[in-house]
Amino acid sequence: MKAGSFIVALLLGILSSVALAAPTDCPWHYFGGQAPDFLNERLSAKTEEICYEEFGLIHSGVTRTPLTSAEHLTRHELEVKHPRRQSAFHPDPNLPRSHRAELDDYARSGFDRGHMAPSGDMPDEKSQYESFSLANIVPQVPQNNQNLWEGIEVDTRKLARRDGHLYIVTGPIFYGSRLKRIGGRVLVPTYLYKAIFDPARNEAGAYLVKNAEGNRYAVISIAELDQLSGISVFPALPEAVKRRAMDLPAPRPHSRVPAVKDQSIVPGKG
Amino acid sequence: MKAIDPFANESDSLQIDHLTIENRMDRVSIYGSIEITRDKKGLEDARMLSELFNSIVEKLSKEDLPDTIPPPENVDTVENPFD
Repeated sequence: MKAGSFIVALLLGILSSVALAAPTDCPWHYFGGQAPDFLNERLSAKTEEICYEEFGLIHSGVTRTPLTSAEHLTRHELEVKHPRRQSAFHPDPNLPRSHRAELDDYARSGFDRGHMAPSGDMPDEKSQYESFSLANIVPQVPQNNQNLWEGIEVDTRKLARRDGHLYIVTGPIFYGSRLKRIGGRVLVPTYLYKAIFDPARNEAGAYLVKNAEGNRYAVISIAELDQLSGISVFPALPEAVKRRAMDLPAPRPHSRVPAVKDQSIVPGKG
Repeated sequence: MKAIDPFANESDSLQIDHLTIENRMDRVSIYGSIEITRDKKGLEDARMLSELFNSIVEKLSKEDLPDTIPPPENVDTVENPFD
């Protein structure tokens, strides 16, 4: 029975290696080929991965939003100029109806449809359209989406142009005992983050903002973000890189009201 | 480019330079910034915006409008399922 026990050992070996990393159909969107992992197991309920051309989503059928939207953003993709674009928000055809947000959920809610992977990062019409899937969208306070958050997206693209390429994970944080909900179906996040790993500098950090009016933001380490979000956003990143927050550039919103770095907005530090 | 039909749907989205235009049932959101340059592209951008504003004015002027839209009606509060 030596052959039999060898096969059992082999199977166990395969199973244990699978258990280490979440399985993914699009490893190219993630640093080290590893999709984000759940630290808070409650977040994993009703989740599915959606692989699009330029980004990979982990979508929650509980919140009916993405939990993470991951991109490998390169200087090359950003060379394409788009003086004009047209697209359309739409419910995600890859998701069961019971799990996904519909356009009606957002109607008359007072919330913007906030992109996680930004439309401004997309190099062509197909990926542009995919970024308008509601599986890539969270309910966002308009003043935040249109000013501070827009500034964070613009400055992240500048960083990608400067340093060549970035691994990015963007997502919502559902923090606190009670949450707002729109359309009786879609949960409103309390915070939003954009986590960045810059391979050229071997440094990583994350912008953190409240889903609220105002221009205050914080920069935190990946280790701090993982604790706050309940998700390991870059599982393949060495611990030392996770622990030290990169000095991310100050975002410059369109409104020209300067963004203010304020570490006191981080929960537990206020 | 297909023009936005103001207030008719929740899906139309348009970007001209750094200006974003999003169609909603209760509003048209316009944000960002734009340089209207003194060239052919500037004229084309200006025409698109002019058509957009004309269609908004036309649509609104035909309706029996309230003084202000009602406050958001679609929002409630629930327990955090992850807490």
